[in-house]
Amino acid sequence: MKRHRKIAAAPQRSATESWRTITDLVRESVCRSKHISETDVEASLRDTDGIGRLLIGGGHLDKNPLTIVAADLHLCLTTVSGDGALSLDENLNPVSGAARAENWTVYLPTPDPLAKAVKEVAATNVHLSTEEPPDAVATGKSSSEAQLLDKEALAEWARSS
Amino acid sequence: MGTILMSSTHTSTTTHTRTHTATFLSELVMGTIGDILAELGIDLTRLYRDWTQDQTAIKAWIDEGSLEMVVLECHRPDGSVTPIFEFPVSYEPGGRADKAFVESRASLARYRAKLDSVPSGTTYTLFCSYNGPHSEQVGWSPGRRSSTAGLDALSFGSLGQGPHAGVSLRYLR
Repeated sequence: MKRHRKIAAAPQRSATESWRTITDLVRESVCRSKHISETDVEASLRDTDGIGRLLIGGGHLDKNPLTIVAADLHLCLTTVSGDGALSLDENLNPVSGAARAENWTVYLPTPDPLAKAVKEVAATNVHLSTEEPPDAVATGKSSSEAQLLDKEALAEWARSS
Repeated sequence: MGTILMSSTHTSTTTHTRTHTATFLSELVMGTIGDILAELGIDLTRLYRDWTQDQTAIKAWIDEGSLEMVVLECHRPDGSVTPIFEFPVSYEPGGRADKAFVESRASLARYRAKLDSVPSGTTYTLFCSYNGPHSEQVGWSPGRRSSTAGLDALSFGSLGQGPHAGVSLRYLR
């Protein structure tokens, strides 16, 4: 199931702080799986620090989401800059869905004029991609579990509206 | 200081907003520099490495009202320095609570196609100039910017505005 979280950028946070908030959320969500090493996730995300700050500072992540896919986790992240950042009601709790994951991928957006730079970074790490992210994964959950997920999505929607 | 006589609520609100303006504009300048360097094909490694240090310095100088201008110089392998990008900062004395945080990045996007290309091996240097006393910031030392004599200037207009200050962009080639 697809989730969308919005993260406050400037003037609420600097790009460095915003990117740290994003990578913390990604790490805490992906590392719910016992098959995924937190050290590996931290190292991979560290490779993205430079381009991540550029994507936020240039305002690109406001319009072009970053997507994380790991088993049933399908998380889209965007930033909010300007006045909206000061009144944004953020949900920074880890997102469920990665518990059974054996692999994970961060799909980085490639807006102009940063496309080449993003692709260069993505090429250095197997967990980074500039491909189109797949559609939301089929959960295969039972109807009661699916209902629980729907309630979670509904609560998230209510918080962001 | 005279501000001690002000109510604590008012003092707190003013400080808060001014710092937000400084964060907003410093990120706007850094993000625009990143877009320009990427557009020109100039290596971004040093920008990645120094981003936090440079953004912190620019933010501090806007916050204290001392920053006059950020300058991005492109140094070509033949020794010439062109193009040059200037980011002058204008201040609203006392600030304006009714003003929102406004971005005008579209103006840069419109002009990006007009930027002159630079040869492979071109590097960049950042300078800051001041309108008065300013604090020391890590990683920054005195320097002299290159001459702009003989260069044509083109204004790209406002990049963004906060309650206490705004920043615009000039292109010299």
